Amino acid sequence: METRSFLTLEDTSCEDLREILELARAFAEGRIRDALANKTVCLAFFEASTRTAVSFELAARRSGAHVISLSEKGSAISKGESLIDTIVTLDRLGADAIVLRHQAAGAAALASRHTSAPVINAGDGCGQHPTQALLDLYALSEALDGFEELQGRRVAIVGDILHSRVARSVMPAFVQAGMEVALVSPLTLLPPDAGALGLPVLSSVDEAVEWGADVLYMLRLQRERMTGARIPSVAEYARFYGISRRHLEGGALVMHPGPVNRGVEISGDVVLDNSSLIPDQVAAGVCVRSAVLALSTGAVHRIAA
Amino acid sequence: MPGVTEPPELLIRQAHVLDPATGLDGTTDVRLSSCRIAEIGEGLRGPREMDAEGLHLFPGFVDVHAHWRTPGREDEEDIESGSAAAAAGGFTSVVMMPNTDPIVDRPVVVSGLVRRVERESRVRARVSAALHVGLAGERLTEMRLLEQAGAFCVSDDGLGTASAGVLRNGMLYARSAGLPVILHCEDHTLATGVVHYGLAASLAGLPGSPASAEDAATATALILAAETGAKVHITHVSTALSAALVSFFKDRADVTADTTPHHLTLTEDLVSTLEGLYRVNPPLRPESDRSGVERALREGVLDFVATDHAPHASEEKELPLEEAAPGFLGHETAFAALYTDLVLGGRLSLGRLIQAMSCAPGRWIGGAGNLTVGAPADLTLADLSEEWTVERGTLASRSSNSPYVGRTLNGRVVGTIVGGEPVHDRTGVNFEARA
Repeated sequence: METRSFLTLEDTSCEDLREILELARAFAEGRIRDALANKTVCLAFFEASTRTAVSFELAARRSGAHVISLSEKGSAISKGESLIDTIVTLDRLGADAIVLRHQAAGAAALASRHTSAPVINAGDGCGQHPTQALLDLYALSEALDGFEELQGRRVAIVGDILHSRVARSVMPAFVQAGMEVALVSPLTLLPPDAGALGLPVLSSVDEAVEWGADVLYMLRLQRERMTGARIPSVAEYARFYGISRRHLEGGALVMHPGPVNRGVEISGDVVLDNSSLIPDQVAAGVCVRSAVLALSTGAVHRIAA
Repeated sequence: MPGVTEPPELLIRQAHVLDPATGLDGTTDVRLSSCRIAEIGEGLRGPREMDAEGLHLFPGFVDVHAHWRTPGREDEEDIESGSAAAAAGGFTSVVMMPNTDPIVDRPVVVSGLVRRVERESRVRARVSAALHVGLAGERLTEMRLLEQAGAFCVSDDGLGTASAGVLRNGMLYARSAGLPVILHCEDHTLATGVVHYGLAASLAGLPGSPASAEDAATATALILAAETGAKVHITHVSTALSAALVSFFKDRADVTADTTPHHLTLTEDLVSTLEGLYRVNPPLRPESDRSGVERALREGVLDFVATDHAPHASEEKELPLEEAAPGFLGHETAFAALYTDLVLGGRLSLGRLIQAMSCAPGRWIGGAGNLTVGAPADLTLADLSEEWTVERGTLASRSSNSPYVGRTLNGRVVGTIVGGEPVHDRTGVNFEARA
């Protein structure tokens, strides 16, 4: 059976994305059951996570997999075992897929070189978070009535792009889906040479709305960024890089990978507004990750019609 | 500030008009109307004329570095006295530095100053806000909100440069906010003295700060400017090496630089007097640095002159040098000191001096420093033949800490016009309306 790791979406074609989303839909609609029966899925979380870990666990269990969870607390990870040793151990215990969350960029790629099991990157440092980008595409496709509807739409990615693995995965995903992408960030939170990505750089949510953004994709501002070194104050950040109700008058949709800092990235009264896809993003996590697990283990190769 | 009500039309007749920006250099008439330059040419007529025969007419001088001590130390200078001193020196625009009390690091302080300038200043004055909160080199100020409140640029002037990592983010954020950064380059780990660390300090027994304190910080600032793409202005360059560093980065970064009249005309020799008056930061340097800075100004490596006008109360200056506050008055003597020492000394052309006092800084602040028809009527009239002695009692500034007190200088500003309105007038009857 052919297996496949999910480390990044950088080389994932539009056709691939469509297939993954269609498979996810089949899972969501209950058209595929027990796809992972007799498979062992290992969740190796070197870094704390709530929604991603829960979402993967549900995705695996609902498809009939055995699930082994290693988290930083109460496992070899907390005893200082190296990444490679942990991965080799899981490999020898017979893991059919390893879901890895790690604090360092490149950890998933490194892990994949030490196991024959497929590795699914559940977030590595500031590197990549491919399943987040897939569930974002899924939630957005559902909201717009189809993957094809993403073509030509404009999405502004707003906030701390420099430190965001989510940004590094959603950028290529949105581009492959045919969307026009703009970055909205102060230069202190923008990767150097971001201009070389060929994406316009805007300097406020106001500008993004003026640019015609159909989707405002908000990134989380980590607390350690709020000390004044890169951002002067939460007030100034919220004023220029936060969403308030007036930004939604033209019908733009709001997305956020969570957890939201209310009043920072998004004003409190908008988080669960009708324009907000945030709950839909969470909901999409399970079926998308079921699809990813099924494809990665080779349990499903083609989409069931 | 002038321009609230439109001043009456004014015709300045037969001045020697010198403006390197437009190439004007000769005797002609200039008509001012509706706050702007309306016409330049021979044989003009107007309802109100002044005879300026024998005087020179320049684009108004621009000083991007002024400490008007407001708010907080109005006993030393306030907007009225600071702008009167600026007008007396021929300056029609200045940039006010943020090291006041309170420090100009919050939008409400900026907007308050902008409003006060409109009411109280004789000349145009722009507000520089702080780059870091409290000028402390740690937390960024709310530069985008400061900009909306009316800040023109940001600077931590007076307190040297932040660590390189902090400064880099400051430059990036300032670029995002669309604000230029004015940098006083001084490395605190090296700048531990009160005068230049050289022969004069050794003989006098004074703790010195080496030139490297400025040079190392200047190099860091220039490298970061090149890397971040920020618009950076290095102020009061005082060493030959710092000038050479600026030269190297001129086409590698969006960088400009100035030096001061005192660093162009005075040297560390004055330290031997041990007088508190002569403490200034950066300190007066040896002749080799003075001449290097002069050459850099002549060649355009240093773009312009800024005075670093820094009033101090007498109780802060009449002290042993080690205990005195650093800083000199600058507005009222800048032109005369430079004209006397450099132009009459045959080391700088008058045209280059006007470029350095009007055109280049005017371009830096935008839309000033040239005598183009339609440009704001900001002009400076000078009598190059006048000889005068700098005296404490006659300065318009509220303070008197000028290093030129007692010196006889040649060339004097006799008239300053802002937005078509005379704000300084020593020409006497000349401004009288011609009935």
